[in-house]
Amino acid sequence: MSLQHYLVISSILFSLGIFAVLTRKNAISILMGIELILNSCNLNFVAFSRFVTPAESIVGSEVFRFDGQIIAIFGIVLAAAEAAVFLAIILAIYREFGSIRPDEVDTLKG
Amino acid sequence: MIVPLISIILLAPLAAFAIFALLGLAKRNFPRQDYLSTVAMLAALGCSLLLIQEVVSDPKPITVEWLSLGSVTFSMGFYLDSVTVIMLIVVTLVSSLVHIFSIGYMHGDPRYSRFFAFLSLFSFSMLFLVVSDNLLGIYIGWELVGLCSYLLIGFWFEKDSAANACKKAFLTTRVGDIGMFIGMMMLFAEFGTLSLYGDSGIFEEVTTLESGQIAWLSVAGILIFCGAVGKSAQVPLHTWLPDAMEGPTPVSALIHAATMVAAGVYLVARMFPILTPTSSLVIAYVGGITALVAATIAIVRFDIKRVLAYSTVSQLGYMMLAIGAGSYVAGLFHLTTHAFFKALLFLGSGSVIHAFHAMHAHHDDEHAESDEHDDHSLVHEHGSEIPPDQDMRNMGGLRKKMPLTFITMLIATLSISGVPFVFSGFWSKDAILGGVLGQAMASNSPHYYILFGMALIAAGITAFYMFRLIFMTFFGEPRNQEMHDMAHESPWVMTVPLIVLAALSFPAVNILWFNENYIEPPPQHHIHSPQRVYVSPDSKTADANSGISLFGISEAEAAEDESGHDAEHASDGHHGHGPAHTIAMVLSICVAGLGILLSWLFYHKRRFSAEAVATTFRPAYNLFWNKYYFDEFYDGVLVALTVWKSRLFAGFDLSVVDGIVNGVGTVTRDVLAAFIGFFDNRVVDGLVNRVAAVTWSAGGRIRRIQTGAIQTYLFVVIGGIVLIILIFRLF
Repeated sequence: MSLQHYLVISSILFSLGIFAVLTRKNAISILMGIELILNSCNLNFVAFSRFVTPAESIVGSEVFRFDGQIIAIFGIVLAAAEAAVFLAIILAIYREFGSIRPDEVDTLKG
Repeated sequence: MIVPLISIILLAPLAAFAIFALLGLAKRNFPRQDYLSTVAMLAALGCSLLLIQEVVSDPKPITVEWLSLGSVTFSMGFYLDSVTVIMLIVVTLVSSLVHIFSIGYMHGDPRYSRFFAFLSLFSFSMLFLVVSDNLLGIYIGWELVGLCSYLLIGFWFEKDSAANACKKAFLTTRVGDIGMFIGMMMLFAEFGTLSLYGDSGIFEEVTTLESGQIAWLSVAGILIFCGAVGKSAQVPLHTWLPDAMEGPTPVSALIHAATMVAAGVYLVARMFPILTPTSSLVIAYVGGITALVAATIAIVRFDIKRVLAYSTVSQLGYMMLAIGAGSYVAGLFHLTTHAFFKALLFLGSGSVIHAFHAMHAHHDDEHAESDEHDDHSLVHEHGSEIPPDQDMRNMGGLRKKMPLTFITMLIATLSISGVPFVFSGFWSKDAILGGVLGQAMASNSPHYYILFGMALIAAGITAFYMFRLIFMTFFGEPRNQEMHDMAHESPWVMTVPLIVLAALSFPAVNILWFNENYIEPPPQHHIHSPQRVYVSPDSKTADANSGISLFGISEAEAAEDESGHDAEHASDGHHGHGPAHTIAMVLSICVAGLGILLSWLFYHKRRFSAEAVATTFRPAYNLFWNKYYFDEFYDGVLVALTVWKSRLFAGFDLSVVDGIVNGVGTVTRDVLAAFIGFFDNRVVDGLVNRVAAVTWSAGGRIRRIQTGAIQTYLFVVIGGIVLIILIFRLF
């Protein structure tokens, strides 16, 4: 398993996420697309951290750094918070408009 | 010791006023402003008396630098010589007595406290004027005195007559003050200082003048005298003083005796060293004419206070005449004695008015003093109303009702009439007459003989009208029984000042004036006429009978004149003076006796009828009755001219100035404004509207991009990112 494998998987995930965000008619599905995008990023962080960051040589042994992995964990926490806010917004939209289809919520239409 | 004393003299009355003013800011009243003011005045009086011993023979001004403008420095300071001290005593003494009298007279007035505060300020102003060593300080005091007289004459400002009288007093004296100011500025322009004393003072500098500048100095002297003409009510600016009777009677006493009118005489006496022969003669003539004119007017007055007012004008004329004739000391001596007996006469008349007034207050069941002059006037005098309680035709027979008032007023009348030997007025008047006659003999100038004649006639008339007043008020049968029944003697706060002033009308009390060493003669310079005689207090012609030294006339100071005037002239002058004094004394006794006798025949014995005489000499009577038509002249000429001029200027304003303004307005509106309006409407508004229209239509098109669909926006965002990435990858 080399870096390229991870990046391909990550790209596929990212593209699927974009596609879902742009095409789905349901706001929940859009949220799911966003989650895909975020996770593809997390995957990238971890992969680059593992393969690209040079190992520091401390006398006698090799020590790995875990900066990417830590950022990925932050990303997961961020996604959870974002999902909560997003769901709250959707709830409010539903109360206001009686629908969660984005194309029906167009009061800002010029 | 001098500085603390003088500080108390000045600050005590000022503090009394300041307390009133400061509490007034807090809308409060000091509970006993009357006592406060009176005690302040008495303190000033005590300090003035202490100063008698302090004054040394060679007084020096005490000055501080006040402000400097460029190279010119104005200083403020005091100058104390014997004359100043005597003036201080006169002012504080009369003022104290007026304060005490007012406690009774003004009782119950709604503005009681304010009255006393104003009295204090008035006294302070006069004291400041008296002690100042420079013209600037004198001028400040001078104007303050004018302000206070305005406030006090118009004290009962509810009455139109009082409100008009105070304005008249203020404006009339202002006319003279302008002259005085110009005179001061002439001196300032020449000498660069307003200080009178000291090495660089005006009196020292004036000795350095060339003889060619004497005409200039005469003009300056006469201009400064103009201020005194206004303040001391000399012809032709005397008309305000009789009208000033509208003020409360104690104020009249203060104005006539100690403060306001004395200021003018004092100023001229102070400026004596700069008076040239010409200006002296002008002063003497103005004084002489005033003495005569005012005396003749006083004969026909029926208002008790107006008689006294004209008598004051007449006596002030005497003083000016004395100073103009070189009898510097005699003028000031008369000022002092006059202050006492005239204050006494006014307070006495106030006591009479108060007696009658109490009746009014009782009748109307009101106590407001402003009620004194009520509408139901009993007598009308040629259209001008006399308040019934001041009309001598309502009086008569009061001597039993008001014995103290009667006796004290009689003493004052004997004094002013010049009854010989026992009354101070005789000595001072005699000093003046003797001085004028002595000057006439020494200078051999017809002017002074004429002036002596005028003074003599005025002395006779004075005796006549003063006794007319006494006979009409206190003798005979009551003319108005109702008013007579209500009259009563005044309370002690009012009679005590009368008694004190009566005592002061005897020469023994005026001891300072008879002390030949106390008064310093002013210096003589070459600018003064060689003929001018300085009349100094000199005991050489002492009257053996009285045992009191008289005002004789010393040598003509000829020793100071370098040219042509030697001991011969001096001795000549000296020989002329002894007789001059005797002649003057005999003549003055004669005319005074004649005046009193005539008055007695007319108004007591009724041997002659005054009405019949008035009918016989109708033109003269009318002239006196209408006060020489001075007021009519001012109304008809000066006031009319002012009104006419104002109308002219108003017409100019209305037609020319308004025309220009309106024309400019029309042009602006119809031409300029029309063009600017067109430009605004078409160009500016057009631009603005066009911009708005373009924006509007552009907005209408561009807004279609905003679909409101969030996924469209996202699509554009992502498409844009892809585009940017492609661009960066390819290029």
